[in-house]
Amino acid sequence: MALTDDMIQLLSAGVSHQVGGCTNSGRPVVCRGLAAQHEAGRLLVIISSESGFEVLDAIRQNGHIAVNLTLPENYRSVSFIGTDAVVRGSGAAWRSLVDERHAAFAQQLVRFGIPPEFTGAWYSADDEDLIAIRFTPMAARNQTPGPGAGDAIELKPIEFEK
Amino acid sequence: MSAVFDDGLSLFGVRRMMEGVIPPVLCTASVDRIPNVSYLSLCEYVDPLHIALSYQFFNRSRENVLATRRASLTLDDPYTGGGVVMQLEYQRTDTEGPVFERLRAKLMGVASHVGMDKVFHLRGADIYQVLEMRRVPGRKELPAAQPRVDLPTNSRLLSERMAHCEDMADLLDTLLSGLSDLLRISHAMLWLFDSSQKVLTLLASRGYEVDGAGAEISLGDGIVGTAVREGVPIRVGHMMNMATYMRAVRSRADESGLTPVLQNEIPLPGLKEPRSQLAVPLRARGRVLGALLVESQHDQYFGYDDEDALTMLGGQLAVAMSLMQPPEQEPPAPAPVKASAQLEGGPALRLKRFARDNSVFIDDVYLIRGVAGAILWKLVSEFLRSGRREFTNRELRLAPELRLPDVQDNLEVRLLLLQRRLAEQPAPLRLEKAGRGRMRLIVERAVVLEHDD
Repeated sequence: MALTDDMIQLLSAGVSHQVGGCTNSGRPVVCRGLAAQHEAGRLLVIISSESGFEVLDAIRQNGHIAVNLTLPENYRSVSFIGTDAVVRGSGAAWRSLVDERHAAFAQQLVRFGIPPEFTGAWYSADDEDLIAIRFTPMAARNQTPGPGAGDAIELKPIEFEK
Repeated sequence: MSAVFDDGLSLFGVRRMMEGVIPPVLCTASVDRIPNVSYLSLCEYVDPLHIALSYQFFNRSRENVLATRRASLTLDDPYTGGGVVMQLEYQRTDTEGPVFERLRAKLMGVASHVGMDKVFHLRGADIYQVLEMRRVPGRKELPAAQPRVDLPTNSRLLSERMAHCEDMADLLDTLLSGLSDLLRISHAMLWLFDSSQKVLTLLASRGYEVDGAGAEISLGDGIVGTAVREGVPIRVGHMMNMATYMRAVRSRADESGLTPVLQNEIPLPGLKEPRSQLAVPLRARGRVLGALLVESQHDQYFGYDDEDALTMLGGQLAVAMSLMQPPEQEPPAPAPVKASAQLEGGPALRLKRFARDNSVFIDDVYLIRGVAGAILWKLVSEFLRSGRREFTNRELRLAPELRLPDVQDNLEVRLLLLQRRLAEQPAPLRLEKAGRGRMRLIVERAVVLEHDD
């Protein structure tokens, strides 16, 4: 399944990223993500290998992943679930994407009086610690806080070129 | 199972991360290990090994936790940008008791800002044992903010100043000026609770364009009304963020058809756009007599230490309000005065009372109601009947027509409120002290009484 246009727009709107996994022994793990991008029906997520080492370990075990994106201005929150996540590609190649997402997120938080230096602490990973995870979203959930958080929302079928 | 914490970390030490400035993130997983990540409203310290998380709605996170009993939680430091990540094991859900009550009060306090307090009820406090806690590695943290004052020392100085006060007006002024001078709290209000009317009346304030004495809110309104109703302090460190979060929940509740009766949003009293608020109940002899509300235009201005300090000072004020009764005196004999009809200075003043709530209007302009309204009505009635201008607290306390059980606790405070309300009015009617335990009614124009009973 693929992301809707609305979901793709959300990726660059200044969202926060939370990335979750679960080890084969049933240990749930979570870390802050740094960026997300749509790639032909798949989702690319960048995290720090230093702060996200547990999440990387869980994903390497079973490929299960949940990526939560939340827009601070209204707490609109969407999760994407996958079971085929792979960890592949790291380094400075992701810096420009991370900086772009960081700038949009910091701009969101400035309106709440949170200065850019503060979000800088969350985005302070070195280039060599940036690492990419790719997966196909098999489900999406509305995670906006409140009743029904976690309920499924529809993705659209992937359109193959003819 | 013993807990594994990073060196130097304790749950008590990370309490500030539980204030909701940045909502906690909870990760759970289904039995087939599909993760679910969501935000939470509140997290509360329970003891060195346990925390409580708010349970408001049955959703996927809860379904997972009940199935697996495991969760991971991240908390962010609202001052430094640092954070911790925990491994949790679900223990039980409390639906009563002190932890549940604390969580419920905090939830109600912040939810009332967006008219959500009727919908946003707490179903339970989920108690978790913390199995592991470690710092989130790799963050370049900001230096921790320096305390704005030496809170313990300056609170003690203020407490000593208050202990020297001999009457209620002096006590209130000393507290409010001391908050500003010693604790750098520039915006404060003292609210008085009238248990018979279920309303809070503004007794005194500092740092606002309008004094507002006599203004009222209902029990349960805003964080001050909720602090009084629940009898616990309520602190909101980042009001814009919390209000946005609550509005998101409200929006989801609307979509789910869970909001048949919603209140309008309640305008915040005092500062137009406060960034931080702390409401502390004034408690004495097991009862809540009112609340102290402090505000700031800065985010995260009040911490746990402020809550502790103001709770102590508020307790001292409440005890003084209960005990600060001047010596009892016999009523004075009527003094010869000019009859009311013969008073000069223009047309007669119309004083009207509505018996339902003892509200009093002067020339159709609302003045005051409740205990203070009943007292004013009695004083003016007695003046018109006998010509007497001086009264004692004792006779008010014994007056059967007041029939107000709460009056014994803080008559002095009610009189002070009435005195201040009258002083704010252009009407030629005032109340002033006439020695300890005595007051004098000043009437400079003829008065006509009207009532609806």
